[in-house]
This record gives sequence, C-alpha cells and structure tokens, in this order.
Amino acid sequence: MDSSADFTDIGTWEPPFIQPHKMGALNKFGQRTVRDNITREVFGVPVSDLVRRYGSPVFVVGEKHLRQNIRRIKTAFQQRYNLAVHGWSYKTNYISAICRILHQEGSLAEVVSKFEYEKARFLGVPGDQIIFNGPNKPKDILRRAIEDGALNQADHMDELKMLEAVAEELDKTVKIGIRINFDTGFTEPWSRFGFNLESGQVNEAINFISRSNHLRLSSLHSHIGTFVLEPRAYAEQVRIMCELMRKLEGVENVAIDTIDVGGGIPSRNALQTIYLPPEQAVPDINEYADAICEALLAGSRYRKEIGKDLPRLIFESGRAVIDDAEVLITSVVGTKRLPDGRRAAILDAGTNLLFTAYWYNHQVKMTRNAAGSEEETVLYGPLCMNIDVVRHSISLPPLAAGDQLVISPVGAYNNTQWLQFIEYRPNVVLAQESGGCSVIRQAEDLGVMMAQDQIPAHLASFDVSGKVRPLNRSGNHPVLNRKLV
Amino acid sequence: MTMAAAELLKELSKDDRLNRIAISDTGFIFDPQTGQSFTLNRTGLVTLSILKRGSSIDETAEQLSHQYGITEETAVNSVEAFLLQLGRYL
Repeated sequence: MDSSADFTDIGTWEPPFIQPHKMGALNKFGQRTVRDNITREVFGVPVSDLVRRYGSPVFVVGEKHLRQNIRRIKTAFQQRYNLAVHGWSYKTNYISAICRILHQEGSLAEVVSKFEYEKARFLGVPGDQIIFNGPNKPKDILRRAIEDGALNQADHMDELKMLEAVAEELDKTVKIGIRINFDTGFTEPWSRFGFNLESGQVNEAINFISRSNHLRLSSLHSHIGTFVLEPRAYAEQVRIMCELMRKLEGVENVAIDTIDVGGGIPSRNALQTIYLPPEQAVPDINEYADAICEALLAGSRYRKEIGKDLPRLIFESGRAVIDDAEVLITSVVGTKRLPDGRRAAILDAGTNLLFTAYWYNHQVKMTRNAAGSEEETVLYGPLCMNIDVVRHSISLPPLAAGDQLVISPVGAYNNTQWLQFIEYRPNVVLAQESGGCSVIRQAEDLGVMMAQDQIPAHLASFDVSGKVRPLNRSGNHPVLNRKLV
Repeated sequence: MTMAAAELLKELSKDDRLNRIAISDTGFIFDPQTGQSFTLNRTGLVTLSILKRGSSIDETAEQLSHQYGITEETAVNSVEAFLLQLGRYL
C-alpha cells in the first residue's frame, strides 16, 4: 500500500490532526475571522519594511493617528466647556516623543511620582503646567514641585502635613488640591486613593487646610476607576464634586478654581471580561464629554449667578488618547500542537512587552494570506513562564515560523508596564506625520542591561579563593570592560 | 505502542466503521453514522487513508516515516495521538 498513490501532494510533515465542524452554532469568534483582517502596513508603512529596518518585535506609533485622537478628544470637551484642559497621564505612555507630541497639542503633564515629575521637567514642561498626583511624593520632590509652581493634589493626611511643612520652610502660601473618593453607585469605589467623602476624611483634610497658614485649597480631584464603560458614572462624579465645591466655598479662604475628574475613559480595546466587541461596548468620547460637561455646567451654575468664574475642568485621559495609536509587530518563532489538539504558536513578543495581554484580548492581524483551515490557536510569548500567553484562544489559519502578526491596540500601559525580564526590550518607532520613521526608544542591548550592575571586587573572577584575577590586559572586567567597584 | 490506541483502532475497524467514512481530497470528511463532519490536515488525510485500508499502527507509521522522512518513533507517536483524537470524535 502506498498512500502517495492517492495524493499528488502529501504536504510537509506535521502531526496528523482532525477538527470537528460545529455547523449552525455561533462560536465565540463570531463570523469575522482573522483571515479577513490581513494588514500589510501599519500607519502607512509596510510591515515588512519596519521589520527589516528595526527588527522584530517592534512597537510602532502613528503620529498622525495620535494627534487626531487628542484633537478629537479635546474638541469633544472644549466645545461643550471651554475651560476644559487635558492632562497627559504620563504613566500611560511616557516615552519622551509621545509626551512631546501631546505637549505640542497643548496637554498639561499629569505625573504621579518623583521620576515622572523629573521627566516632565526634563522634557521642558514648566512647573505650572504639571499636575502632581499620586500617593508617594518624597519631600525633596514635593519641595521642588512647590518651588516650580506645580499643582500638588494631596492623597493623604501625611502628605498634607508635609506640604504644610515645606510651604512653611519656603515661607510661601501654596495653592493645593486634594484627591477625594466616594461612591458614584456606578463603579467599584476606588477608596484607597485620596480622602473619603462619606466617612468624613474630606472634612478632616479641609479643616487641616483651613487652619494652615501656608496652604489654600484650590482644586478638587477624583478618579472613579479605569475603563469606565458608563458615561453616567462621570455625570454623578461631577455632580458630587460640584456639591462639595459649593459647600466648601462657604468656608473662609476656599476658592475652588479647578475640578479634576481624572481619567478612566476606555479605549477601543477588548476587555477579557466583556463579551461584546469594543465597537459595541465602548461609548463614543462625545458621550463622556456630554456627561461630564453637562454635569459641570449644571453643578457650577450657582457661581455664574453670584458673578464668580466657572472652574477649570481637567480631564486626564490616557488610554483613550494613545491606545489605538500604537501597534506591536511580532514574529512567529515556532509552532506546535498541544496535547489537547489545539494549535499553538510561539511569538518573539509576550507579556514581557504586552503587559495588557493579562486583561485584554488584543486584536491580531495576519500580514499574509495563509492557506489551511482556521483553528483555535494559543499565542504564547517567548518567556519561560506558563503565564506568558498573548491570546488564550483565537481562531487562526496555520501559522509558520517567520510569519509576522500585528497586535493592537497597544499604546496604553505597555511601554510603561513592560517588564525587563529574560528578553531585551525592542525598538519603539514613530511613523511620522510628515512621512518617514524614526526610533523614539532604542532597543536594549547588553550594554544597557549591564550599565546598572556593579560587581564587588571579590567577585571579579571565578576563583572562589577570592583572588582578584582581572581577565583582560587593562585590568578591566572582561564583559563590562571597566574597573570594578 | 499504547494499548489505548491499539484498542481504539480495533474498535474503529469493527463493522467496517472506518471504511464507511467519506473522505474528500481536500480533507473534508463525513461520518454517516453520526452525521458529523470534520476537517483533516494534509497529514491527517494521508494517515486516515492508510488506516482505512486496514493497516496496523506500525504499518501506518512505517509508511509515514518513509514518505515524510521522519523517524518511525515519531510516526508511531503521531499515529497513536491521531487515533486518540479519532476516538473522541468518531
């Protein structure tokens, strides 16, 4: 018997496999398949060119897309409330070029740590264009922020005390904000940040500020959650904040000039816990702008009646601005069949680069037409860790080593939460609005990885007797090529 | 060779069960007994065609080893794994 008599093409070897058809039943992948979603270029640049020039994996940011996003979002708010200002949430993506683009577009810097504050100043952002949030502000940076004229929004009573002490040392009267938290009834309350309204912590904070000779309360800040899919939650948030503002302005020395509603507006990404696709699940930005601005106009109408200015509105959207303006190009390095019959592919990018894969089902696009039947496939990253899974289940045609995939949206929280773990982090490239590309964050190499390491002298050689035997002629460490500590 | 795979092959060969499965050249197969249809990959198509002729696991593996240039051990493991899949569906 010779089966080749039956088939002119027996194909190349892969383990034999049978896949049952489930006709007539809706499957979890819906009707659109990855095969329908071939993309050969991202932000106008061929994927193959990007990989050839910058390697794989590579992050690519679309400058034009990013600028369009921020303009659209700002317009949505400012046409409803002309005192609306955007604060760019550095933690979402603080690659310098990204921050610069957003500052060019008029966004303030919203920072939450010493590092982020120093980075904003390093990038040339004036102190009075910085909103300093977050629960950990060491005294030295708080002092600098006060001297620079940044808006410090206090998270807890010890920070208020520190603000008071620094302001006293500097002999200044400082306008500050406080972060408050409360239950809107729509989202899980984020009670760990700021002063709680219902339990009276806000009153305590305000009493402290009122007694202070150096602090003046000028801003109320709250942030109700992340990926908030219900615009009415923001309307309720603003209503509560305005109610508090009105109450406070009866107190001596309080003049609120800023209402900061934080961020949390979702991007068009697919949360793993949500069944509907993002196109259906995520409301348009105009719905959020409507909810926030209408509530603010209603809640601050009393000020117009008494001849006071309306407060400035700060919104700190991060992911809605950047998420879909960045993609990750990754390559298949190997394929296998799992013992339960599912296909699997190993990619050169995993959760080390795509931290958000832990909670999103990112969109994955092929860059070529692939022959063969689509099957449920698991996409693994390159790490030696079982939890390094980019997609647990996606219907894909057969993949082959060398195939390139485009994963999106990835602009939010990946270039900040990515892990330096096992692998080097790759290039981040900007597809420029004017055409052409430039690297905005260089790929790591051994030099970068070793730069912070220090090896004490007694560990200079492999000799356990402790004898120092420099291994190169100049007496430098053979790998670091520099003197040891 | 595992007993489970050998037993499954014996079971699937009863009453001409394997031979009654309709196979197309593209890998589409239809099981008239259950009304279910399936898709085979190319090697699955070749393997099932050999098994349908009454070949044993070893005979099937030997042919696959010869045609694809793989070791007999790999081929035996693959045929056994394939039989375990067939046992789940047929």
